[in-house]
Formats: sequence, C-alpha cells, structure tokens
Amino acid sequence: MPDASGPLLDQSMQTVLSVGIDALAYGMVLFVISIGLSVTMGLMRVVNLAHGAFAMIGGYIASYATQTLGFGYGVAILAAVVGTIIIAIPVERFLYRRIYGAPELTQVLMTIGITFCVIGIANYVFGPTLKTIPLPETLRGPVDLGFRSIAAHKLFAIACGVAVAGALWYLIERTSFGVKLRASVDNAAMAASLGVRTRIVYAVSFAVAVGLAAFGGIVGAELLPIEPYYALRYMVTFLVVVSVGGAGSIPGALLACLLLGAIDTTGRYLLPEYGEFFFYLAVIAIVCVFPRGLLGRRS
Amino acid sequence: MSPVFQVQNLNKAFGGLAVTQDVSITMNPGDRVALIGPNGAGKTTFVNLVTGHLDPDSGKVLLGGNDVTSLGPTPRVRQGLVRSFQVTRLFPDMTPEEHLALAVMQRTGRTGAIFGHYQAKADVMAEVAELLRTLGLDHIATRKVAEIAYGQQRLLEIALALALKPKVLLLDEPAAGVPQSDTPRIEAALAGLPSDLAVLMIEHDMDLVFRFARRVIVLAAGAIIFDGSPQDVTRDARVREAYLGSYANDRSAA
Repeated sequence: MPDASGPLLDQSMQTVLSVGIDALAYGMVLFVISIGLSVTMGLMRVVNLAHGAFAMIGGYIASYATQTLGFGYGVAILAAVVGTIIIAIPVERFLYRRIYGAPELTQVLMTIGITFCVIGIANYVFGPTLKTIPLPETLRGPVDLGFRSIAAHKLFAIACGVAVAGALWYLIERTSFGVKLRASVDNAAMAASLGVRTRIVYAVSFAVAVGLAAFGGIVGAELLPIEPYYALRYMVTFLVVVSVGGAGSIPGALLACLLLGAIDTTGRYLLPEYGEFFFYLAVIAIVCVFPRGLLGRRS
Repeated sequence: MSPVFQVQNLNKAFGGLAVTQDVSITMNPGDRVALIGPNGAGKTTFVNLVTGHLDPDSGKVLLGGNDVTSLGPTPRVRQGLVRSFQVTRLFPDMTPEEHLALAVMQRTGRTGAIFGHYQAKADVMAEVAELLRTLGLDHIATRKVAEIAYGQQRLLEIALALALKPKVLLLDEPAAGVPQSDTPRIEAALAGLPSDLAVLMIEHDMDLVFRFARRVIVLAAGAIIFDGSPQDVTRDARVREAYLGSYANDRSAA
C-alpha cells in the first residue's frame, strides 16, 4: 500500500529531523556554556564547580537588563557578558588565584562555596523566581527552511555554538595569546622565564571562560531556564561535558556536547519516563572506555 | 671594556649550611667561561641566585652595571640575563616555530595585537626562520616538540635562549643526555654563538669544557677555589683535590 507508507515515512522522517534539531541546539548550548569550563579545567587545571554560577550571573543580568531596564536583546547580551567578567575579575584575583595548583579537594570546596554564595546573593538581590529573557522578534518565530520550519532561537543557538567553536580554536591555536596560553599551560615556570606574565594570561583566560559561560547562559535560556538554583542544577551537566570531551580539548567538548545532546534529547523523546537515566548511563560508559575523555590532552 | 655581568660577594645559607660563600665573578662581553665543580658544590644554587629564582642573604648581581639583585627572574630575562635548562623544559605540545615566535615576541614586546595571528608579524617570523636555519631545525619547524629527537630539543633550547638576544647566557650542561652522534651539532651551535655574548656554561664533561671555555671557574663547597685558564686548572692542587680527583676516579671506574 504505497499511499499509506508514504505519509508514515514522511512523518517519521519529520520526527527524526525534529529530534535532531533539538539535540543539535541543546548540544550547542551545552557547548557554549561548558567550553569555558573545559578551558579552566584543562588548561589552568582548576576544578571550577562555580562555572555554572557565572552562566547564572549572566542570565540574571540579561533578564534584569531586558525586563527592568528595557534594553534590547543584543545590548542585554553584551551587558551581561561584560558585567559577568567585571564581577569575575576580583573573584579571580582574590579567590581563584589562591587555588591554582592547590589539591583538587581544596578547589572543589572553594568553588562550591562560591556557587552557594552566588546563589544566595542573586536570590537576595533579584528574588527567588524564574528569570526570563524575552527573545527579540526575529528569534521568536519559526524559520522556514523549505522542507520544514524550525524555531529561530534554536538555529541561533546552533550558529552561536559554531561561531564560538571556530573563534576559540583560532584564539588558542593561531594567535599570539594562544601561543602564550599554551606555553603557560605546558610549563608555567619556563613560560615565565621567557618573560610571559602567566598571571595575566590566566586572568584573561578566566575572563574569556566566564564571559562564554554568561553568553551561553543567555543564548541557552530557552533550553536551560535561568532559575534560582541554576548554578547547582546544571553543575554536573557541565562537568560531564568536560570529562567526557576531555578537559582542554575544543573538538572533544564539541563532540561530547553533540553526543550527549543527542542521547539526552532522544531519550527524553522516546522514553521520557526514564528521565536522565540514559544520559548518565552513556556518561558512565564513556568514562569507563575513555577515562581521559574522548579527546583529552595528555597529562 | 666595561663588564656586562658582575656577581659581588654573594652569600646564601640554608639553615646553618652555607651553600654559596662570598662568590664574586666578573664577565665581559664575548667571555666564554665554564663553571665546574663536584656534585654538591653549589652550582645549581649559584645559578638560581643569579637568575633570581632564589634571594641571596647578601651580595649583589649586576647586569651591564645595573643592580638587579632585587628583581625577579622575568625582569632579569628582559634585561638580557637568559638561562637555558639542564632538564628539557620545553613545551611538549608546541612546535619549534611557536617556541621561537613566542620568545621573539616577548623580547620585542610585540604583544600588542595579542588576538592577531602570530604568523602575521613578518619581522618576527623572519627572525624565527633565521634562528631555525642557524641551528638546523628548519625541517622540523612545525612538528610538535614531543615528537622531535632529544638532540634537536637541546638545539631548540639554545635557539630559544638566542631568540631572547641575551647579553649573558647561562648554559646548563647543554650536551647532557645528547647521543654521541648529535654532540657535534651542539658544539657547532656553541661555537657559532654571537661573539659579543658573554657565556657562562655549567658543565660536567671536561672534554667539552676544554674545547669551549677560555676561562674556568671551579666551585667547591659553595666557594670559588679557582678562576683562571683551562691550561692551569688541571695543575691546581686544590682543584685536583676537590674536583678532578673525583672526576679521575669516575673515569677510572667507568
């Protein structure tokens, strides 16, 4: 019965495509937020559990800028990224600088402490409610791709992920700053003896990392809503991306995000009653097979 | 000629143990000095004091007449005091070209456009190419350091030090661990060092010391016991006792 199988096939193709787009958008949002964590953990060797807190700060600032101050979406993104970096500078100077090279447990306790303080302060200042960041008109509707239409904000998230991946690769592999960063990472003492001011290199890297967290927090707000316990709720998810991808590896993080995004989205679609079971099952399997992550740097 | 490098009455003790005792050295541009001494003589401590990795208890370090005793390692590098390393301490994931580009950019302060492509600076890259050619590393310029031979890594260390255009170069056993087949390359690189550069080489291999140095300083128990020509060092009774005796014993045992 060719007439019946045609629409059926068509419908399942539509479903696959729909899940695929959702997975890609979710994966890219994870990537934009987590890649900064991959940089701090892989390159600067700091287990920064407070990374999500900076994404949350970005989200709160953007929400405040749009809802209360009436700024446009683009301005709000810029204000949030800059604002988060400004907040992060003294935090790096006075708190993180103490834990570079410290035992991992010390780093974990310090950054968990920072996370809870950020949650407390954010909720005290802005109130313990879900924060929304209204999308501009252009990102609100669907985009017609000819064969089907897709939510514009998902395409935007995907485009942001691609842009961030490309820009970061160029920054680390090709620029003067990237050469300094890689030198500082490989051998800080040697880099310093060449005259590289490693503290500044670390501070700039940290600023880039939290700036990306803030940017990802806003761009991904439709998929990972900005709420009072955001920093805690997604802490493990961001860590998973880094450990699965391999700390410090941009292609690794990208691969991990696409893979985990696909598993999570498919799982939720096909077997919603299992929650995140398949996501974490996949994490366990990957960590067993690739203890350094899919594309981890040599230690 | 005014001295480019002076160490004046340097002292350092760890606990009650004096590891550097009243050490004074003066070097002029173009000097080729070897610093030798038995194990535990305090050579490493001396180098760390000179480079600013350790603070002396008393005494001074002067570079081109400027007192740099209170400066840290990085400003001393900027003023022209550069050290190569005993143990290979290169960046394993970076290429020789990147190493040298970094060093040249640091030296020239050409780090303004830090987010620009590092290869875009033509003058920097020309100097890098010249250094790679001089030390015979051009064919492996874009390989990761972890993948190149040990002898090539040691050559890269020398190139790296030269990229900083030092006035005073401290070489810490430049040929140690290099296979016999590669030592001629290292020695050729040493022979080709700029003639106005003052070189202080810390070395165990006496054959290399005698070929390279025009002046030998012997350190024993933290103090200088000899400062003179290579011809005289073997005739000095204190040196024979402190150093060459154990060296000769090592030789006969080997």
